[in-house]
Amino acid sequence: MPRPNWREESVNVAGIDVHFYCGGEGPPLVLLHGGEPNSGWLQHHQALAEQFSVYAPSHPGFGHTPGLAWVATIADMALFYLWFLDAVGLARTHLVGHDIGGWLAADMATACPHVVDHLVLVDAMGLKPQHSEIRDIFLITLAEVRAQSFFDTTQVPEWQQLYGQPPTPEAADRAEEALETLVRLCWKPYMHEFRLPGLLPRITRPTLIVWGREDAITPLECGDLYQKSILGSRLAVLDACGHCPQLEQPQAFAEVVRSFLH
Amino acid sequence: MQVYYFTELPYHEYPDEEGAKYPSLRLTFPNTYYDPHKAHDLFHRYLDEYQYCEEMGFDGLMLNEHHNTPSCMNATMNLIGSILARNTRNAKILLLGNVLPIWDNPLRLAEEIAMLDILSNGRIISGFVRGTGVESVSSNTNPAYNRERFEEAHDLIVKTWTTPGPFRWEGKHYHYRVVNPWSVPIQKPHPPIWVPGTSSPETAEWAARHGYTYVAFLTPLNMTKELFGMYRTAAAEVHQTVTENNFGYLLCCYVADNEAKAQEEAKHFIWRMGETTRGPREYFAPPGYRSRIASQIAARRRTSESKPLGQQNIEELQANYHVVAGTPDTVLKKLRFLKDELNMGHLVFYGQESRMSHKATMRSIELFGKEVMPALREW
Repeated sequence: MPRPNWREESVNVAGIDVHFYCGGEGPPLVLLHGGEPNSGWLQHHQALAEQFSVYAPSHPGFGHTPGLAWVATIADMALFYLWFLDAVGLARTHLVGHDIGGWLAADMATACPHVVDHLVLVDAMGLKPQHSEIRDIFLITLAEVRAQSFFDTTQVPEWQQLYGQPPTPEAADRAEEALETLVRLCWKPYMHEFRLPGLLPRITRPTLIVWGREDAITPLECGDLYQKSILGSRLAVLDACGHCPQLEQPQAFAEVVRSFLH
Repeated sequence: MQVYYFTELPYHEYPDEEGAKYPSLRLTFPNTYYDPHKAHDLFHRYLDEYQYCEEMGFDGLMLNEHHNTPSCMNATMNLIGSILARNTRNAKILLLGNVLPIWDNPLRLAEEIAMLDILSNGRIISGFVRGTGVESVSSNTNPAYNRERFEEAHDLIVKTWTTPGPFRWEGKHYHYRVVNPWSVPIQKPHPPIWVPGTSSPETAEWAARHGYTYVAFLTPLNMTKELFGMYRTAAAEVHQTVTENNFGYLLCCYVADNEAKAQEEAKHFIWRMGETTRGPREYFAPPGYRSRIASQIAARRRTSESKPLGQQNIEELQANYHVVAGTPDTVLKKLRFLKDELNMGHLVFYGQESRMSHKATMRSIELFGKEVMPALREW
């Protein structure tokens, strides 16, 4: 059996061991996951690893990495991840984030623009839409969240691997912990931050915003707002795609990102 | 044994088929189904019933509080408590309880309860609760901090009542430059504090460490014993003396002149057990609201050891001692069994629900007061 070309590692940051997946060769690329536990190494990781050294860390308090009491907001976690970049020795990296991972990436780029090579925000939380609402995932069941997260679940190639089986007790526990931490971080204001629109103009690095046109969680309007707030950024909208392009259309997603990073 | 009368001040004045269209009667059931004029009549009717309980010799009158639900119109129990403080003379006023975590300014709550204690001339029993998830969501209080806020607000309130001001408070969730309210309680060192429990071992243990009276709210008998046992263990660890006064039991109860009438009226409790507790977990226990252990116990409460309350018929509810109904003789026998099983010093007589009429409610209060209460006095 061939050895996988990715591995699991950990690095000490702020007194805790941060779990991360890494693989591939090339310039560094940090991929920040959304509000669920780190999904593990999937097709989109592999596709990006063909050209980049991909680091996919697990957020503190989301199952694989212990939580930190002082991480009470996304802004706190952004500072934590800037520390993480120091710890793994990345002075400058591409930064890709989905959902709250996109919010984190945007926050990191406003706080410390020089560490970002290129920035990619994917169906990102963080901004309050003016004409629509971010779907309140805290008041609906996990099954409803799943249903709302995809335009067409039958086109998710890794559906069976991700959601086809009932979770193991360990996986269920991680999911519960992740949801609890997500509530801690994002309950109020819900999934957005008052200061972010004021800070986004500080981002001058090349920025791509990727959005599923049919995103029923974070409306496309938020993608427009990010695009308008970050000078020179571009919005790429994927048709027939929901909130998770990296899962619903992993190859198309990777292609859009790779061509931007070239 | 001391007995306290309780009603949730229900508003069951909408068509049931309308309520059934919504995922829950709590949180999101539209308030367009609420008619303030009907509520006016109900509030005054319920207040009359409370006052009659004092005439019938009840030791106390219990109030509670919920939000966004027809099961309980009492959205701020201290308001109703202040009316009772003025309109009654002897009965204890049991607030069970104020929902601590949803207060952003618990110092104001310390003042309100102190004022109630002054107005009632020291008749307040101050219960504190964490609230259901619905209370967290309706007040938009982060459920992940529910227990932390509960404990810190409690510490602040007790210190406010017991430590001469002014002093400063720099906590995690609450911060005050000057704590020095002029309203302090009549009762010293402070009004008795009670805590209800439904499933969280942490709550039983916390109450035990503080020596507070712990009242089981609709937990099955075996689980009630288990939670009382956890209380005793935790109390022993900190050398707190435990007597029957440390325990209470809430019981839906109807007393009638004959068994048939009792059974007919007891059916009003079914709405409370079933329809008003229907809804998704996300409403009642949002993520972070409960610890893992408490979630496991809550799950047991819903499944393996007893059917969920909402799925029990009236016979099962009575067999499981959530509801007791009958003539005074029948009720006394069942209460004797409960007393022998649990040895609690306090009984909450949950005496009215749903569409139970004023007349029927008053008769049950009268029969309980005249024919059941005298025997309980000796227990």
